[in-house]
Amino acid sequence: MDVILSNLSLGLQVALQPINIFWVTLGGLLGTVIGMLPGLGPATGVAVLLPLTFTMGPVGALITMAGGYYGAMFGGSRSSILINTPGDGAAIAATFDGYPLAMKGRAEAALAISAIASFIGGMISTIVMIFTAVPVARLAIKFGPAEYFLLMVFALSATAAMSKTNVVKGFISLFLGLMVSTVGLDAQSGVSRFTFGILELQGGIDFLIIILGIYALGEVFKSFRMIHEGTRKVQTKFGPIWITKEDWKRSWLPILRSTPLGFFVGVLPGAGGTMAALMAYNNEKNLSKHPEEFGKGAIEGLAAPEAANNAASVGALIPMMTLGIPGSGTTAVMMGALLMLGLQPGPLLFEKHPDIAWGMIASMIIGNVICIIINMPLAKMLVRVLAVPARYLFPIVLGLAFIGTYAINNMVTDLFIMIIFGLIGLFMEKADIPTSPMILAGIVGGMMEQSFRQARLISGGDWSIFWGSPICVTLILLTIASIVWPIVKELKRKKGTG
Amino acid sequence: MKQTVKAVFLLGLVCLTTAFLFGGGAGEKAPKYPTKPIDMIAPAGAGGGWDLTIRTVAKVLTDTKLVPVPLPVTNKPGGGGGVNLAYMQTKKGADNLIAVYSPPLLLINLNGSSPYSYKNTTPLAALITDYGAFVVAKNSKYTSIAQVMEDLKKDPSSVVIGGTSAVGSMDHIQFLIMARAAGVKDLKKIKYVSFQEGSGPAQVLGGHIHLLSTGLSDVRGLLQSGDLRGLAQTGPERVTTDVLKDIPTCKEQGINEVFRNWRGLFGPPEMPEYAVNYWRKTLAEMVKTPEWDAACKQNGWTKNYMDAPDFMAFLDKTNEDYKAVLGEIGMLKQ
Repeated sequence: MDVILSNLSLGLQVALQPINIFWVTLGGLLGTVIGMLPGLGPATGVAVLLPLTFTMGPVGALITMAGGYYGAMFGGSRSSILINTPGDGAAIAATFDGYPLAMKGRAEAALAISAIASFIGGMISTIVMIFTAVPVARLAIKFGPAEYFLLMVFALSATAAMSKTNVVKGFISLFLGLMVSTVGLDAQSGVSRFTFGILELQGGIDFLIIILGIYALGEVFKSFRMIHEGTRKVQTKFGPIWITKEDWKRSWLPILRSTPLGFFVGVLPGAGGTMAALMAYNNEKNLSKHPEEFGKGAIEGLAAPEAANNAASVGALIPMMTLGIPGSGTTAVMMGALLMLGLQPGPLLFEKHPDIAWGMIASMIIGNVICIIINMPLAKMLVRVLAVPARYLFPIVLGLAFIGTYAINNMVTDLFIMIIFGLIGLFMEKADIPTSPMILAGIVGGMMEQSFRQARLISGGDWSIFWGSPICVTLILLTIASIVWPIVKELKRKKGTG
Repeated sequence: MKQTVKAVFLLGLVCLTTAFLFGGGAGEKAPKYPTKPIDMIAPAGAGGGWDLTIRTVAKVLTDTKLVPVPLPVTNKPGGGGGVNLAYMQTKKGADNLIAVYSPPLLLINLNGSSPYSYKNTTPLAALITDYGAFVVAKNSKYTSIAQVMEDLKKDPSSVVIGGTSAVGSMDHIQFLIMARAAGVKDLKKIKYVSFQEGSGPAQVLGGHIHLLSTGLSDVRGLLQSGDLRGLAQTGPERVTTDVLKDIPTCKEQGINEVFRNWRGLFGPPEMPEYAVNYWRKTLAEMVKTPEWDAACKQNGWTKNYMDAPDFMAFLDKTNEDYKAVLGEIGMLKQ
């Protein structure tokens, strides 16, 4: 305990140097802005900062990039709430209730709660990281392929919660997503699947492109008629960016529940913020007393995933810092930067360079405060997007979607894929098929299939690997509970009313 | 209305910033070379081995003022490098792009995942070699690669090997080349599991796989701390950077074989002669600078400069070697 506190004070000494406060502010600000732009998420944010970091010392580089990372998590939900287009994958859950809130004229509260939830999620996770980074990382490596597979199944059980009315339609959407996730070079056999000789498809279809197609393009298609009729509601009067007491009463517990969930999912290499946010959303919907409000502007449905994705971004730093294992694209870029600066991330980083490791961790405390200070006034400006008439707004959304899509892999093919998914989204909308199960399946499907086959390969075809560890059993029970619980609740409710 | 104008302006500003951040000028042919920025391409995401190599090259060339034009690095991930290879075919005769490649350039063609090969590029120079490593968790029963090979000889499916590249690509092939040299029969039956992104080391640490086949410098942190044990490195002699010097080579353990993870630079097909000459000369100068020395030392790379003609001969020979192994495991698609 004393050791941790003395390390922390060393870290604070580093983090509070004026130059490092400048770096964390710069990182947080750039991250927020980049995160806001559709398609540009933390990975892009950190990659943009990469050349800049070569001129800084390792401490400055790490602090700036970490700031860019969680800054992007703060910023990512802005466009989800205001234009129904997630800034990055992790902000997708923020569209479910954030956009309906904005359409109800409660954009101010939505923006405020998302910043507050992000702040609380990030702050608690940072404090937890200070005390438990090493043991948590040791727990994370207990996740083998079988555990990953079951985790993905658990995540997919969220489909039940996402299919608002028709479960069959929910599953149609889910299977579409799973089908899309099989496109590309299969790592376990080295065979190209469903690429039709198009080399660009070998890397698979990035789910961000699907999201941009369905949400950004989909929103434009949907509103196409309104442009002429002028029926899109334009908000002209704006209140202060703050929440009511009632909002807070509904949100505080979901925030606190979602933080540890997001944090741990973030720690697992390969899982990440998107999954954390979707799992938190599903979880809250299951636990809520009024699940019928979810998807129509329930404030806790926005608060929970926002806390979870920020917590996940903090968690994701742990395997990189303590083991030298980058668990996501973003942390891989950060680790690359450290290598270029002559630093070797790994278990000895804390011993050999305590000033760097602890300096970065301490800077996150400051960074979270700075991010919320940046985000509140920024939200005041951004909320005015709602005052923009559709004929100006949608061309800009389209432009941003194309830029964002191109920036993911620097490939023109992706633009066509996005347009195709925009059309698919439109048809799904017409047929009243929910799109979120498809996106969730697109995100976890690839990894679910790979880990299933990895597990079978390792066990030599023995199925018992899937219930061979306590983690497996826990995950199976959680999955069953998350499917059965809503049904039980529904039955109870019906009994109660009649 | 005033608010509307302000909001439109704000959004426009955001667009401009984005365009500024991600836009890049395309160069045209010019009599004096180079006058325009050269695109330095890593055919994978930021943060990996290719990315690190090309960024280091760009940095050294800029720091030493050897190249007077900007050298922006672009990531073109996908298909184990195949996507960028296809892109380079559309840039036939261009003088403004250079990509880094390593063994997968040959492997993705031989195993059928890319129709293009090194013959559809203009090799400029080989720069460095990184070696492969076979590592196990610290509580593993294996203390030498020879023990692993003994077990494999008795039952080729008794040891689970993991790696980060797809089946039939580098991590897989480097292990099979060693297994074949050690006398293991039935290479096809050896279990190889491919893991996504950087999760391979976590899998071997957690005991989910027995052995990880990886790059020597990829797991330095975990070797230093003693969490992983290095059974063997694949070079002709030991790499001497810090903890890596304690790992014996395969040769020392009676496996008379070497696997080199060479990395070199490649131009698009039919790159103009003036550009090829410029880069051959410039890269030959670069590898003599102290800045390059320092960068190699820091990353644990072995300097391995080969000028274009030597490099081409090396590629021809290496291609035949890989062909033999892929043929043996039934993955050769030619």
